[in-house]
Amino acid sequence: MTQLMSNTSYLQNLLATGPNSSTPGPDWLQVRREEARQQWLRAGLPAITDEQWRFTDLSLLAETSFSTRHCAAARAAEGRAAGLDGAELVLMNGKFNAQTSRLPPAPVRVTFLAQASGAELATFEKLLGAQARPAHHGLIALNSANFSDVVLVEVPGGVAVERPLNLIVHSVGTEPFATYPRILLKVGDNSSVTVVINFTGPNNLTYLTNSVLESYVGTGSRVELVKIQREGTAAIHIGSDYAHLDKDVRFQSLSLNQGGLLVRNNVTVTLAGPGSEATLNGLSMTAGRQHVDNHTMLDHARDHCESHELYKSLLAGRSSGTFTGKILVRPGSQKTDAKQTSKAVLLSSQACMNSQPQLEIYADDVKCTHGSTNGPLDEEQLFYLRARGLAYNQARAMLTVAFAGDVLARVWQPALRQTLEDMVVTELHRLEREEF
Amino acid sequence: MSILEIKDLRAGIAGREILRGVNLTIAPGEVHAIMGPNGSGKSTLAQVLAGRDTYTVTGGTVRLNGRDLLDLSPEERACEGLFLAFQYPVEIPGVSTSYFLKAALNAVRKYHGEPELDAMDFLKLMKQKMKLLDMDAGFLSRAVNEGFSGGEKKRNEILQMAVLDPKLAVLDETDSGLDIDALRIVAGGVNSLRGADRGILVVTHYQRLLNYIVPDYVHVLRDGQIIKSGDKNLALELEARGYGWLEEPAGVH
Ligand SMILES: Nc1ncnc2c1ncn2[C@@H]1O[C@H](COP(=O)(O)OP(=O)(O)O)[C@@H](O)[C@H]1O
Ligand SMILES: [Mg+2]
Repeated sequence: MTQLMSNTSYLQNLLATGPNSSTPGPDWLQVRREEARQQWLRAGLPAITDEQWRFTDLSLLAETSFSTRHCAAARAAEGRAAGLDGAELVLMNGKFNAQTSRLPPAPVRVTFLAQASGAELATFEKLLGAQARPAHHGLIALNSANFSDVVLVEVPGGVAVERPLNLIVHSVGTEPFATYPRILLKVGDNSSVTVVINFTGPNNLTYLTNSVLESYVGTGSRVELVKIQREGTAAIHIGSDYAHLDKDVRFQSLSLNQGGLLVRNNVTVTLAGPGSEATLNGLSMTAGRQHVDNHTMLDHARDHCESHELYKSLLAGRSSGTFTGKILVRPGSQKTDAKQTSKAVLLSSQACMNSQPQLEIYADDVKCTHGSTNGPLDEEQLFYLRARGLAYNQARAMLTVAFAGDVLARVWQPALRQTLEDMVVTELHRLEREEF
Repeated sequence: MSILEIKDLRAGIAGREILRGVNLTIAPGEVHAIMGPNGSGKSTLAQVLAGRDTYTVTGGTVRLNGRDLLDLSPEERACEGLFLAFQYPVEIPGVSTSYFLKAALNAVRKYHGEPELDAMDFLKLMKQKMKLLDMDAGFLSRAVNEGFSGGEKKRNEILQMAVLDPKLAVLDETDSGLDIDALRIVAGGVNSLRGADRGILVVTHYQRLLNYIVPDYVHVLRDGQIIKSGDKNLALELEARGYGWLEEPAGVH
C-alpha cells in the first residue's frame, strides 16, 4: 500500500522504520545514532540534482509509506530457501538468524554488536562508521540511525580460509518495509578469504534494503567479495560497500545484479597502503523497468597502487543502467595505474545505459585509462552464428553469455565461479524469454 | 535437379542495386568460379545467398536443391546445406571454437532429425577434420577467430565447412591472405569435399586459387551481372589480359 507523502513526513516515516531511540547500547553508540538521525533529517534522500545521483531518482522512497511495525517473526524456513549451499550466516531483516545459520569454523570469528562487550565492543567502536560516514549521503545516515544490529566477521592474520564465507541477507515482510543490514569485515595481515553476500527478498512488494558494509584489509592479504543482488522484483536496494586496504593487498569485488527494481551500488575503495591492487567487477542483467546504478570510487591515497574496473550490463526491456567510475589520485600517489572499462549490451531498443568516468588526478606520474561501449549485440557476429545453423535465439544467448563471461572468469574460487556461471546462464534465459 | 539455381537475382542496399540480374546454375558435382574486379558484387552475391538481411532482394529466385531459398532464415539455409566461407570472418570473443562448432553441428543434425553428437564423437570428428587441414588441437579452445591470423581465419572457415558437410559451399575470397603452403592445404580441404552430390562456388579475384581448385566453369561478374562464362581457360585468359578486354554486357539475360 503506497501513498504520496509530504516532503518532511517521509523523513520521519523512514526514520521510524528503525529501532526507537530508547534501544539499549553503549553511550558512544547512542551518541552516534543520534548524530546520524540529525544528519538524516538535515540531508534527507540524495536528489537527482546532486551530481553523484543524477541518473538515479529515489523519489519512490519518499512516495512510499513504509511500515513502522517491526516484523520480528520471520519464518526461519524462508532464509534457508533463499540460501546458497553451505550458507553460514543468515541475516533476516538485518538481524542474525540463529536457526538457519551455520557459523563458520574457527579461526573465523563472527560477533554481533548487540552481544559484544569488552575488547570486542571496542573493535566495533573503532571500525563502525570509520569509513561509512553519515555525512557521505542521507542513506548512510539513515542506515547508521536505523540498523538493528551489526555483524562483525573477523579473519585473523596468517589464515587462508579455503571455502567462501556465505552471508544471506534476507528480507521478509508483507507490507512496504525497510531493513538496514550493517556488516563489518576485518581481515588481518597475510590472510586470504572470499566472502559471498547474497541479497534476497519477496517479489511484488515495495521494500527497502539499505545495506552498509565496511571492510578492513590488512597488509599482504587477498580478499574477494562477491555480492549477489537478487532482491525481489519491486525492491529498492541501496548498497554501500567500503573497503580500506593496507599495504600490498589484493582486493577484488564482484557486484552481480539481477533483482530489484531500483538499485544503487556504491563501492568505495581506499588504497591506503602502497603496492595494493583493487579490482572491481560488475555484471548487471536487467529487464522490465529495472534500474541499476553502479557507482564506484577508487581513492588512490598511496603510491604504486593499481586499480582495475570492469563493469558489464545486459539490458532488456525498458531497463536502464548507470556506471560512474570515480578515480581520485591524491598528491604523491605516483606510479598509480588505474584502468576502467564499462560495457553494455542493449538487448532492446528501449533499454538505455549511461557511463561516465570521473577522474581527479593530483599526481603526475600516473596511468589512467577509461573506456565505455554501449550498443546492441553485434549484427555481424549474430549473422555468422546463424549462417552456421544456430537459431536466432540460440545465437543471441551464446553472445550474451560470452559477453558476461570475462567478468565471471575473474572470480578466484573455481567452484564459486561455476556456481555463478550457472546462475548467470539461467538469468540470461529469463531475459531472453522476456525480450527476444 | 540442380543444386543451385539462381534466376535474375536482383539485390541492393539503401535503394542502390548491386546485383542487377544474376543467372547461375550449378549441377551436382560441379565446381564453379566467379571472378570479377573489386566492387563487382561477388561478396554481395555470397552474402545474399546466405541470407544477410543488410541486403534487400528486389527480384529473382534462388533454389537450393529445388527449395526456394529466399524465404528461409540464415539458419534454415545453413541447415538445408548452404555454407558460406566468409571473406572476413568475424571474431567472437568469449565463445570457444569447439563449443561453437559443436552447437552448430548439433543444430544442423537436429534439423534433420538426427541425434546430437556427444563430446567424445564430436572430438573424434574434429581431430579427423583438423588433421586434414593441418591444424593443431589448441585451436579448439581458442575463441572463434579471436586474434587469428588471416590464414588461420580462412582455415577455420574450411574446417567448419568440412565439419558441417554442406550441399553447396560458397567460398568468398578464401585464398586472400594465404601463403602458398596454406593455399595448398586449404585447396586440399576443399578438393576433398568435391563429390557427385555437392556443389562448390568459388568466389575469387585472382586466378591463383584455381590452379589448386580446378573449376568446371568460370563466370565473370561485373557491375552485378555475369557478363561472360567459360571453362577453366577463361580464368587463365583473365589472368593474362585482365578484365578490361571484356566489353560491356550486351543482351546478357
Ligand atoms: N554493406 C554495404 N554497404 C554499402 N555498400 C555496399 C555494402 N556491401 C557492398 N556494397 C557495395 O556494393 C558493391 C559491391 O561490393 P562487393 O559485393 O563487396 O564486391 P566484391 O566482393 O566483388 O568486391 C560495391 O560498390 C560496394 O561498395
Ligand atoms: Mg568481396
